[in-house]
Amino acid sequence: MAGTEQTSTGIPVKNGNVPRPSGRRRLSAGEMRRQNFGIKLRKWWPYYLMLLPGLLYFGVFHYFPIWQAKLAFEDFRIIGPNVWVGLKHFQTLFASPVFLNVLFNTLLISAMKIVFVFPVPIFLALMINEVRGSNLRRFVQSAIYLPHFLSWVVIAGVFIAALSPSDGVVNEVRGWVGLAPEAFMTQSGSIRWVIVFSEIWRSAGWDSLLYFAAIMAIDPQLYDAAEMDGANRWQKIIFVTLPGITPTIATLFILNVGLFMSAGFDQVFNLSNDAIRDQIDIVDTYVYRLGMQSGQFSLATAAGLFKGIIGMTLIVAAHNLSKRLTGKGVW
Amino acid sequence: MNRSNRTAFERIEQMIIVSSLLLMVVVTVQPVLNLLAISFSDPAQVPGMSGLAIVPSGFSLDVWSLLISHPNVQRGLLNSVFISLSGTLLNVTFTALMAWALSRPDLPGRRLWFVLVLVTVVFEPGLIPDYFVVRELGLLNSYWSVILFKMINAWYLIILIRFFEEVPKELVEAAELDGANAFQILWRVVLPLTRSALATITLFYLVYHWNEFLRPMIYLNDQGMWPLQVVLRQFVVEGDKAAIVGAQAMNNYEGASQISMRALKAGMIILTIAPILAVYPLILKFFTKGTMSGALKG
Repeated sequence: MAGTEQTSTGIPVKNGNVPRPSGRRRLSAGEMRRQNFGIKLRKWWPYYLMLLPGLLYFGVFHYFPIWQAKLAFEDFRIIGPNVWVGLKHFQTLFASPVFLNVLFNTLLISAMKIVFVFPVPIFLALMINEVRGSNLRRFVQSAIYLPHFLSWVVIAGVFIAALSPSDGVVNEVRGWVGLAPEAFMTQSGSIRWVIVFSEIWRSAGWDSLLYFAAIMAIDPQLYDAAEMDGANRWQKIIFVTLPGITPTIATLFILNVGLFMSAGFDQVFNLSNDAIRDQIDIVDTYVYRLGMQSGQFSLATAAGLFKGIIGMTLIVAAHNLSKRLTGKGVW
Repeated sequence: MNRSNRTAFERIEQMIIVSSLLLMVVVTVQPVLNLLAISFSDPAQVPGMSGLAIVPSGFSLDVWSLLISHPNVQRGLLNSVFISLSGTLLNVTFTALMAWALSRPDLPGRRLWFVLVLVTVVFEPGLIPDYFVVRELGLLNSYWSVILFKMINAWYLIILIRFFEEVPKELVEAAELDGANAFQILWRVVLPLTRSALATITLFYLVYHWNEFLRPMIYLNDQGMWPLQVVLRQFVVEGDKAAIVGAQAMNNYEGASQISMRALKAGMIILTIAPILAVYPLILKFFTKGTMSGALKG
């Protein structure tokens, strides 16, 4: 670390951090190191005191679970020590049609979200940018950001009410054009679209904020120049705005791909029911049911660990790719 | 270039854009307003109410008085408030302390701690190992399990470090020369300069705690310790009427509860949203500003 030498400038002289004049003789290398250590300790121990609770937290609640994940390679015993069984549980998983279905659902739902949800906030931001009155703009923004701050329990409640076949608003509107009421929440043909639409409802507004911020950062002179050249609204969007937010789009797209294995536990968990479970059950909800409801702790840990490792690979790859393409990483 | 130049075509374009945005607003807000209207309606009129209604049909506080006086809801509210406030207090305190230490560019071992934090962002071993850790620590069925979970969110930590790093070096050095210790510098110099970032983090944590349902559900077996979200889930998502009406009251209430079940659910959802709505203006003020400037800085 190049910065280490510079610390001496920041150390208060009066606190006696400087070698006493009494020791005029030259110090040996070892003594120097010890003295340096003493100076460092004196300066940095309060900072380490501040770090301590945080480090303890990360150790106990993040690294201890990593150690506990060894359960994936063991048979869980209620009494006595667990027995090491190697990859047995992973083999069981991949031989199980349920797990393969769950894996398929995870990938399908993530893919559907990238295709149908990801572009929405981009369009929203472009549209908001075209609104002239700043009051109207602020009104629209304050309204569409709100669902981002609601829990999926609440959103599930809202959707169950709105999609109800007997008194929900959606079926009422469908009735206007003569369509028969449908129970969207319990039909295997529609539930994945409920997932897609509820995701748009919750996050499109808030996500548009990132793009809107990127649009605001575009140099206004570019628009002036385009206007001089006689560009109309659409030409300005295509030749100035879109190129201006392309890095943001790229970064967020790559991040989304990096999170491919997390199709949204909270969402699926709360929108799920027995009638359509096989259509939207994802790895995370499968882990929950297997572990917390059926008590198959080892198998559930194995499924979770599998997801964790694939997820880690994806996110690290996404980070590196993003860094290479846009110069901006995920963290 | 100016208004008179705008063609009729452009005006139509503008109308299409504005009306589709307003449609988006309606789709976002209407379902919530509908629930609000239902919760204040006369319970007898609720079954026939349109999903489009945003005005109560008949006015009655029956639903709210039933909800507010119900022990499960009262306990849920208290638990939620307690967990959210104490959790957020610990979150902000320890995130700020850790961020301040890690924001010092020549803290010995800084890189190592950074990498160790980032590893936890990238790799999550899953729900079951988390559960076993809480069990090993003897924290099952204790409020500590949900208060300490995500005590420091790595992303917020990183955001706060970035803000702390922008505090002018000269100010910190001047304070050091005046003999201020690390805690005094944090308290007197750094925190006052990063107030809006702190407010943002505080609101982030507060919303997170209020909305969390999974960990309390898994870690707290005693239903009397459940926060509101878990009670709501039991009632609305699981359709467990006993959660709200109460097991014994179910039979006596049968008639009344059948009539107003839709209204009760609506009221319960609104009750759970209410605190979020209360802090939402603050969120708009701080979050949007923070996100905007963060994006601008790149």
